[in-house]
Amino acid sequence: MAAHGTMRAVLPWVITLLWIAAIILALLLFVGAPLGEALSGFWQGAFGGRRHAYLMATLSRTALITGMAISVMLSFRAGLFNIGGEGQLVAGGLAAALTAILLPGPPLLVLVAAILAAMLAGALWALLAGVLQLYMGVPLLVGSLLLNYPVRYLASYAVAHPFRDVPSGMVQSHLVPQETWLAYFPGTRLDIGILFTLAATAFALVYSYWTVHGYHTRLNGLSADFARTVGLPVRRLTLQTLAISGAIAGLVGAIAVFGIHHRYIDGMLVQPLYAWTGIIAVLLVGMVPWAVPLSGFFFAAVQTGAAGMERAAGVPKEIALVIQAVIILFVASRVSGALSSKEGRGDGHA
Amino acid sequence: MRIALNGVTVRFGLVTAVDGVSLGIEPGEIHALVGENGAGKSTLMNMLFGLVKPADGTIVIDGVERRWASPQDAIRAGLGMVHQHFMLQDSMSVLENIVLCAEPVGRFGFVDFARARARLDAIAESHGVSVDLDGQLGRLSVGERQAVEILKVLYREADLLILDEPTAVLTPQEKDRLFDTLRSFRAAGKAIVLITHKLDEVMEIADRVSVMRAGRLVASAPLAETSKEEIARGIVGGVLPAPRARRAQKPGEVVLSVDALTVARRGRDVGPVSFDLRAGEIVGIAGVSGNGQAELVRALTGLERPRSGAVSLRGERIEGRSVGERRSLGLSYIPEDRQRMGLALGASVSDNASAGRDDRRSFAAGPFLKLSAMARFARTLIENYRIRVAGPRARAATMSGGNKQKLVVGRELSRATPLVIAENPTWGVDIGAIDFIHGELMRMRDAGHAILLISTELDEVIALSDRILVMYDGVVSGEVAGGEASRERVGALMTSRAAAPSGPEGMGEVA
Amino acid sequence: MLDLLLDPSFAASIPRFVTPILLAALGGALCERAGVFNIALEGFLLTGAFAAVLGAYYSGTPYLGAAAAMAAGMAMGLVFAEFNLRRDGDAIVVSIAINLLAAGLTTFLLRAIFNVTGAFSDPAIVGFGAIRLPLIEDIPVLGPMLSGQSILFYAALASVPVLHVFLARHRLGLRIRAAGENAEALRAGGVSPRRVQLLALVGCGALCGLGGAQLSIANVNLFVENMSAGRGWIAVVAVLLTRGRPWPLFCIALLFGAVDSLSFRVQGMGLAQQFTDMMPYLATLTVLIVLSWWRARRARGDVS
Repeated sequence: MAAHGTMRAVLPWVITLLWIAAIILALLLFVGAPLGEALSGFWQGAFGGRRHAYLMATLSRTALITGMAISVMLSFRAGLFNIGGEGQLVAGGLAAALTAILLPGPPLLVLVAAILAAMLAGALWALLAGVLQLYMGVPLLVGSLLLNYPVRYLASYAVAHPFRDVPSGMVQSHLVPQETWLAYFPGTRLDIGILFTLAATAFALVYSYWTVHGYHTRLNGLSADFARTVGLPVRRLTLQTLAISGAIAGLVGAIAVFGIHHRYIDGMLVQPLYAWTGIIAVLLVGMVPWAVPLSGFFFAAVQTGAAGMERAAGVPKEIALVIQAVIILFVASRVSGALSSKEGRGDGHA
Repeated sequence: MRIALNGVTVRFGLVTAVDGVSLGIEPGEIHALVGENGAGKSTLMNMLFGLVKPADGTIVIDGVERRWASPQDAIRAGLGMVHQHFMLQDSMSVLENIVLCAEPVGRFGFVDFARARARLDAIAESHGVSVDLDGQLGRLSVGERQAVEILKVLYREADLLILDEPTAVLTPQEKDRLFDTLRSFRAAGKAIVLITHKLDEVMEIADRVSVMRAGRLVASAPLAETSKEEIARGIVGGVLPAPRARRAQKPGEVVLSVDALTVARRGRDVGPVSFDLRAGEIVGIAGVSGNGQAELVRALTGLERPRSGAVSLRGERIEGRSVGERRSLGLSYIPEDRQRMGLALGASVSDNASAGRDDRRSFAAGPFLKLSAMARFARTLIENYRIRVAGPRARAATMSGGNKQKLVVGRELSRATPLVIAENPTWGVDIGAIDFIHGELMRMRDAGHAILLISTELDEVIALSDRILVMYDGVVSGEVAGGEASRERVGALMTSRAAAPSGPEGMGEVA
Repeated sequence: MLDLLLDPSFAASIPRFVTPILLAALGGALCERAGVFNIALEGFLLTGAFAAVLGAYYSGTPYLGAAAAMAAGMAMGLVFAEFNLRRDGDAIVVSIAINLLAAGLTTFLLRAIFNVTGAFSDPAIVGFGAIRLPLIEDIPVLGPMLSGQSILFYAALASVPVLHVFLARHRLGLRIRAAGENAEALRAGGVSPRRVQLLALVGCGALCGLGGAQLSIANVNLFVENMSAGRGWIAVVAVLLTRGRPWPLFCIALLFGAVDSLSFRVQGMGLAQQFTDMMPYLATLTVLIVLSWWRARRARGDVS
């Protein structure tokens, strides 16, 4: 009886996995890739390399994806469809780079100031979307999304014109002072940025389960009508939550600047789709806080693994995006009710 | 059309909603199907109509066993159903609503509205049911909407008409008109099933009565062979609950004072409404749903800003205050819609129990929650309000309707605020829970709390209230003291703006 | 500025920008009216643009390119239906996934089939030519706008009244509206709302596919990674603002298209490209804010 019940619970997941595997296999066959090499290339690319260099790359990517995932998770759990993480991330990255380049002073202070500036920029950009929803009636979903574009072009302009590192010949800013670069873990090429992400994750865990504010935003996320009826300050909660989300996205931008690129390069935060990967990383685990880092690591591995597959078997690495989308499609239908879509469409009268 | 249901069983997961019911429906007969909420009446008829599939049993129509793949099959076989919640499209015209799903089509699948119009004109003439076909449905009154539903059924040439609680939202006059229409159908040889829980209506119009309780058919007999008392006993399964004792007490000081309050509404604004509510009394607000009660409640609780007027709670002006501020000033609110407003169904019982509490210190230390204190509080509520649930950690969604409502009532009443606003507090819950909730409200009253009871159930208002205000068309059409409250008096006020002491025209024949 | 607006070549460029937004928005309108919250128009457009190039390249005719685009769009509609309607996945999640799927599949196939990254252009991609309308082209201002456009523009124009009449008077149109407003009533009437919504999604896919074809084989004859560049989102905004009513939708699409084309024009006038790139989104945001604000005010009853 118990075994039968377990079967019933497990079987749909097995079928789902088979579907996903079948689709990936079909894509591999389509490009005529040698399967064995593709698979070992994937494994190497995600977890292997000399002295685990690729694993470090995966972890470095995990830091950014998980950070973005934590950022949107806080919004989603509060019932706020903030899909403007990209804009908040870019605002943070740009603010961090410009502060570090322009602000004189002791490196550590500059670093701290730059990180704070990044968080502030991200928070403000998220707040803008919230203000548009609360006071203008613009649905958060489209408002936050559309705000991605202006900031993306603004950042692009900043590093293409006033703050461009002209001699480099690339569309990028000057380097931030070398003393502000995040250190590597001893003996590796992995910067300590992931510690910031872990801190953000720890914060999100405590916040979600054990704080009054997290409790209230959770109730608002489960039912906005209920939250209003029992007298929770919905507007204030909305703005505060968005600010927290945006600040974390901004922090991620700062990690990318000080830990990885050491400057702001046009498109460095947009092209890899960190924000979108963060969103699907949250959706994969149904917004359960403790599982988000694992999910972030998983998607980072899919991406670096795909790059490995390209090196080993000539499979275009863009397959990673297809795999992610397919996984989310199948899993979204299994973790139903993860988002209450009615709320999200709301005409903005939260 | 002669219908026989044989040993029908319907299950939803592990719950057996209808258990081995056999029932015969004869042409030219009005067959009342009665029972309390959740007895399985609607489920049985939804099964007959093809909306749910039976786990067991058969449907035999005119001697032939039938199976429905979808309601379309049932409709084609001549069945028609008027659902409790109207199946209509507000933004469409009456004509579009009627033809929807049975559209006469011309070339390329375009709807031949002219043909439909001609047929409807003929139907309207022969049965005396008429509605302006070009009017937008959203602008119609509830009674007119029901006429549209009936036209829909007639348009499909149904021989069996199932009506699910058709009078729940009607004024007494509209109800009379409906019953006249039903009698004309009976005369035309159609079979009619009337699902209801109002015994007076059964006595007035039915030819045969079937009683359901807990998914089973407990009795089925011609009306002449039974009595109102017998039917009532069948419904509750034993002795009827005794009428509630009321302790005479003098109302205290004014707790809630409403002065010329107006609230925005589509069409005509609600108000101006003025009244006082004193400590130790229950003031009932009666009225057919949709006459401004919902807007009034939203303005009183702070969910909506009023357009003008003043509201004072214990002498303090609150019309500009937020929901949270009003609650901490001494207001509790039991909302009508427990699924959306009363509870967060996805959250645990414990999370629901502590929501909206203003004694923050008892469940929080600084910014952190005291989870064990919250669970303890939830357990107290579960015990005191006899809520049947697995425990504080169980999701609110896992409880039955009555237990959900007890949790809402428990949470709000345990705050022991001077003012309690209860909006249809027993809507859709079983008799045991109704009795319990009524008892709790009375206990609060006796303890000196002021209670505003908004209810569309006349029985409930009359049984509990010290004074009754009746709302009609957005204003208070009259006030009736609890003692002298009579159905006729309140019923008259429910249908008229004039607060004339004698009932207005057309009300004489109300039973 | 006025000179610019009266410049015939500016007028002539507007339809190039209007067509994809309008077609995608009309598709979105079908979904909106049917009660499917489809915000994957961006992905649908991108898929259509890629399939159009694929079809035109291999068949040598833009018509098969457009047909391939429609087919690909409809396939995306089916994917949406499978996961949103049949498997009951959340519409927003499914939309996000489909947008990513479209971005991934098009770039993946670009490399797998044509072995290029970034963009694919080839003389073998035959695009749609301009159709000149003899008398109309002589009308000042309007003439150059109405004449000399691709057949897809005329198809988009025709779709507006067709969709209007379809929703008002066609059996499926009626049912689509019912599915969006009170689906339970459809079910009670014996019609499966999901089937109706499936058809709406397929229709949406076909229209978006055509919109994509306009991008890749009418405006230009090439495919560029992510060439839909947010136009699908602008179409989503247009749908939300008009609640899927065809004529208001047409006006909004015209407005957005005009701004789009204006931003293209002012690029040559010394303004940094980043700012002109930003313009369509700022314009969309502005319209969104103004209309939402006005609507919210009206809903509160301050203006009547």
